[in-house]
Amino acid sequence: MVKLTIGDIDCYYGSTKILEAIQFAVKSGEFLGILGPNGSGKTTLLKSISRILKPKKGAILIGESNIYDMKTLDVAKQLAVVPQTTPVTFDFTALEVVLMGRNPHMARFAMESKEDMTIAKNSMQLTNTWDLANRPVTELSGGERQRVIIARALTQEPQLLLLDEPTTHLDISNQLEIMDLLKELCKTKKLLIVAVFHDFNLAARYCDSVILLNDGKIVAVGKSEDTLTSENVKKVFCVDTIVKKHPITGYLHVIPMPKPLNQRQKSLSVHLISGCGTGSSLMKILTDEGYFVSVGVLNLLDTDQETAQLLKIPTTTEAPFSPITEESHKANLKMISKANVVVIAPTQFGDGNLRNLEAAETALDEGIPVVLMEDGSIEERDFTKGKATKYLEKLKSKGAVTVKNNCGLLEFLDKLENKNSKNCHRKK
Amino acid sequence: MITDAGESHLRRVSHWKLYFLLLTVVLVLVFVFSLNIGFSHIPFENILKILAKNIPFLGDIVKTPGTEEFLRQESIIMQIRMPRVLGGALVGVALAAAGVAYQGIFRNPMADPYTIGAMGGASFGAAVAIVLGVGVALLGVNTVPIYAFIGALGAVFLVYVISREGTRVPVTTLILSGLTVTIFFNALVTYLKLLAGNKLHALTFWIMGGFTYTDWTEVSTIFPLIIIGVAIVYLYARDLNILVLGEEQAQHLGVELEKVKKILLACGALMTAAAVSISGLIGFVGLIIPHLTRIIVGPDHRILLPTSAIVGASFMMICDSLARVIIAPSELPVGVITAVSGGPFFIYLLRRKRGGYTVR
Repeated sequence: MVKLTIGDIDCYYGSTKILEAIQFAVKSGEFLGILGPNGSGKTTLLKSISRILKPKKGAILIGESNIYDMKTLDVAKQLAVVPQTTPVTFDFTALEVVLMGRNPHMARFAMESKEDMTIAKNSMQLTNTWDLANRPVTELSGGERQRVIIARALTQEPQLLLLDEPTTHLDISNQLEIMDLLKELCKTKKLLIVAVFHDFNLAARYCDSVILLNDGKIVAVGKSEDTLTSENVKKVFCVDTIVKKHPITGYLHVIPMPKPLNQRQKSLSVHLISGCGTGSSLMKILTDEGYFVSVGVLNLLDTDQETAQLLKIPTTTEAPFSPITEESHKANLKMISKANVVVIAPTQFGDGNLRNLEAAETALDEGIPVVLMEDGSIEERDFTKGKATKYLEKLKSKGAVTVKNNCGLLEFLDKLENKNSKNCHRKK
Repeated sequence: MITDAGESHLRRVSHWKLYFLLLTVVLVLVFVFSLNIGFSHIPFENILKILAKNIPFLGDIVKTPGTEEFLRQESIIMQIRMPRVLGGALVGVALAAAGVAYQGIFRNPMADPYTIGAMGGASFGAAVAIVLGVGVALLGVNTVPIYAFIGALGAVFLVYVISREGTRVPVTTLILSGLTVTIFFNALVTYLKLLAGNKLHALTFWIMGGFTYTDWTEVSTIFPLIIIGVAIVYLYARDLNILVLGEEQAQHLGVELEKVKKILLACGALMTAAAVSISGLIGFVGLIIPHLTRIIVGPDHRILLPTSAIVGASFMMICDSLARVIIAPSELPVGVITAVSGGPFFIYLLRRKRGGYTVR
């Protein structure tokens, strides 16, 4: 059982302060992630923990002893480090590099023993590198080399393992394999792991706790679920994100929001009637085009509803799997009355959402143009025994325009936009 | 046949002794052949007898002819050829070992006592000693190596400080600053020639390089220096291996980086100085030998260092023999031979794209 304590440290490069008042403690069996933007001091923090950059103020303790008072060899017996990349000049074989991990445990003139070999072989098998053992490291790919370096770190038999973006150069299967291995070692061998990450999802998936760094200071520290919130991410990275538990894996997922295109804001206000994901791409296209978009009525948990939430589009919502109530129908009509045009996506219609077509009719009656998007025959998506089909025919006879695809829709909206921006501005 | 990777590694390591033995045999052969080369013809049989006679204890057992002819041959071998050949061998050991140390520290096969500036510094130091006339004896100690050592140390330190960028020593700046410092010190040596006065003759002969006038005093002066240098570098052989992973990782693996670097740079300077003090400027040995040896025995410094030393000694003796033979009865400066064989090799290394040897 070992404890790493970072006691209120300040670190400098020359006279530039890189880290300020960093303070935390980790115990054996814990997996701590360090996250933060480029230049926030993540690597510097790792360097000062790994005895490369001595803090000007404060102390770093392994157990009770200050690592800067310990001998280099004694630190190396307890702490191993995996850097981002390892350029190697001479043609050492992978096995020779891994065996270097035994150095802190060997007497000066000792040769590697059978036992050292067993330990090296074991860690190479764990990292899937044993079949590379006799290849020169200079000939290995970035990913292979990184796995060899991780094997080297494990061969050191450390109690603490520091990693600087260890999986950046690995493909997804190696990434997961290595991270699974580290997590496993963390649990079974009570390894203490501190790792710098760039990937939120990787951090959220594997770390017990997370430190968010910005500008050399700790912004948030704590359990991954409490720390990786969209507020904190916004604070540190200035990026809008959706943070939610993935329904299948149960892991926290951080999804960055696409930045809206730099499109001129248009005057037209578009109300979308959709559902079951038929409107998702439309919402993105229309907002990117610069139209003001609203949606309704959508059931909560509907894919389109989640998209609307992501894109921060005003939405009239209804309880999950429930038919549209009078109340939400009215709210929808109110939303429609503010719009310049109503677009009906090629969604399925059942008795529950038939009132959306009623709303569209009201729009036509109020003189708001309605666009029907047609995709295949209406019958196939009509689950109302023909009521919806009839309704759509009625809308057409009342002047609803039909378009075949997104292009057609954008063309139509473009014409409308030109007319609209000449006459008046968006309805308030 | 698929063999266990661990076993094949251990087998490779077990070959180390074999390499060492084989190369030692080559060394002894080259040594004897070098003794054979010279104006007067001395048969091998006599050379072996003379050698045996002069080995303590063995000398009492071996019967040697007491003829005047034999005694004359003995004095040629022991007083003229032996110090010359041994001096060459020692210089070869020193330059090759210093090359191994420098290449390891800088993680760069282009580093050697010449490119690093150590030789330039050492030659300036030695030239100062020769011109000041303190070189012969100060309290009975030959001071030329001391001055050369100070010069070499100063030059290496200068190059290291100039080429260092943060914690890295990039190849380009290392070689460039090494050559700059060398040129600077060469200029100083040229200036010393103007001031040399009646020492000019001695200085010029020394600068031309070679082992023509090497005597037992010189050999016995540099012998302990070079042996100590090689021994200390060998102490840190495993640290040199680990340094290949970079300075930070070496520290993470328990290498006391700053201390090790200082000791090794100083050892390199010591060996270079010892070599330069008797032979003048001999380029490229420290560059070629470690590289060739690495191809034979692999990059592990625990075997690379001793075998490089042996190969360096053999190479130097061969070059010196060639220097004596090619335009006999005149002699070529041995530095010409090493440069002619080393120059193209240096260019080959520069042009080589693989393994990060090229300038990054």
